[in-house]
Amino acid sequence: MTGKKPFKILKEPALQSSSLVVGWSEDAGKIGGKVVDYLKRNLEAEEFAEIELECFFPLGGVGVEDDVAQFPESKFYSCDDKNLVLLSSTPPRFDWYQFLTGVLDVAQNLCHVKDIYTVGGMISPGAHTTPRLIMPIVSSKEMKMSLNEFGVNVDMDYETPHGQRPTLSSYLLWAAKGRGIHGASLWVPVPFYLVSSEDPRAWKRAIEFLDNRLSLKIDYADLNAAITEQNQKIAQLTSRMPELGNYIQKLETNLALSNEEGERLAKEVEDFLKRKG
Amino acid sequence: MGIKLFKEPKLENPVMIAGWPGIGNIGLVAVDHLKTMVNAEEFGEIEPWEFFYPRKVFIRNGELLGLEFPINKFYFKQMGKRDLIFFIGEEQPTNGGSTYAEGTKAYRMANLVLDVATKFGCHRVYTSGAAVAPIHHTMKSRVWAVPNSEDLVAEVRSYQNTVLMSDIEGRGGQGNITGLNGLLLGVARKRGLEAICVMGEIPVYLHGFPFVYPKASKSVLEVLCSVFELEPDLQSIDEFAQQQEQEIEKLYQKLPEEIKGQLEKLKHVTYTKQAEPSMITEEDKRKILEDIDKMFKKQPPKEG
Repeated sequence: MTGKKPFKILKEPALQSSSLVVGWSEDAGKIGGKVVDYLKRNLEAEEFAEIELECFFPLGGVGVEDDVAQFPESKFYSCDDKNLVLLSSTPPRFDWYQFLTGVLDVAQNLCHVKDIYTVGGMISPGAHTTPRLIMPIVSSKEMKMSLNEFGVNVDMDYETPHGQRPTLSSYLLWAAKGRGIHGASLWVPVPFYLVSSEDPRAWKRAIEFLDNRLSLKIDYADLNAAITEQNQKIAQLTSRMPELGNYIQKLETNLALSNEEGERLAKEVEDFLKRKG
Repeated sequence: MGIKLFKEPKLENPVMIAGWPGIGNIGLVAVDHLKTMVNAEEFGEIEPWEFFYPRKVFIRNGELLGLEFPINKFYFKQMGKRDLIFFIGEEQPTNGGSTYAEGTKAYRMANLVLDVATKFGCHRVYTSGAAVAPIHHTMKSRVWAVPNSEDLVAEVRSYQNTVLMSDIEGRGGQGNITGLNGLLLGVARKRGLEAICVMGEIPVYLHGFPFVYPKASKSVLEVLCSVFELEPDLQSIDEFAQQQEQEIEKLYQKLPEEIKGQLEKLKHVTYTKQAEPSMITEEDKRKILEDIDKMFKKQPPKEG
């Protein structure tokens, strides 16, 4: 990398002691990206900066997903009346520390961000009808105390297993802590059979939490409609294939499925939801 | 951001010895063993986050306590006339997905290592790695040595059990050293420092396995000890080498007889130019090396 700043500012937002919500495009159930996208549309947030892609992505062509060419994106949005900053980004492919330094430079110097929240999905063995918990990881005792007031338990113990690596959210929280910015990564369970499709119930849980925490006054109408629509689609599928309904019932009563049952449920749900668009 | 020194020892005419992970971890094991042997003391590090993705996160009771990065540390040992600085890195920095150092990050890392070398008055640097060669695993590994200046060739030739590129048949003194071992030689040359890379031989049929190959590390260690006039303590590396050889032998015995038969021939050939006539004819030797080469998809010997 050269000494050039790795981001482009389109306009300066009017923010003080703001909060930054970050969603990465690649996580289980695409929760992070979907949550930030919903907040962006619902709050009519405006784009004000972007990370320069050539600094962090190979750009040697495009990948294709679900028949569509993909391209990395890393954009900041602001909602000045809510004192809110949003970052919707593809995780960088290299120079991660420089990338996070760029994000924090924008957050701190331009937006005076005081706290950061990342949103992500984690694969769960539960059913889609099961109420979702938020599982936060915080970077400071202050953040932990303040989150306890919002009815979430901050008590996870974890060490990266051999062969895996920490999430980019953890890396961001660590880098932010070095600058005195408090942070929390919010993990929402996504049923294993919805990991490749969408899980609006998980989006809603994360959005509700952020709404309460940051006083955003979100309109849930679209989100509720998406949940209803997905429930209907899954009900359609289980009425055609009752054994899948039995599998989901087993999950609802905390019974484990065999590998074959789990694989079949995931495949049938994924194929059906894809066909139904 | 870059180098963090915990102390600034006063060093007499120091030489730097650097090691990184690589094929068979030959250089890393040799340098680490030497560092332990002389009881060197840690005095600094290169801050890792600019170069590496963290490899571990520690979360207790919901709070992120910290991240663990690959470490890159400097150690020193005052020896009297010629002190030693060690640099040991746990990973090679890259700009992309390659295992070995390349690109701007690697170049910056090489320069940071040499910044410490020059700050403490080093004029010479040794790096250490692996040389993939058509040898049999029961044979003693020789050490390929590559200096970064013509002035050092005569000295390097005097090292025990050592091969220069020009000693290897068909090479015409040419070759490649991948990763930081090679890069450091080049950057040292650019900065006017002497540098020598010593690479222990690993059998061509083992270099793709995730084995540590301490037998080659031992050969490298013997060369370095001889250069620094140190009495080598080889007990632990010998034990490690024997243990690994038993594992390799178990695997070797499971190979099909035809392949084993071909590999056995490696015991009787040498790929270096010989002063004395060999037991086998030049024609036999050429055929054996060709067969081995074909078996390993015609991969040329490489080093790094």
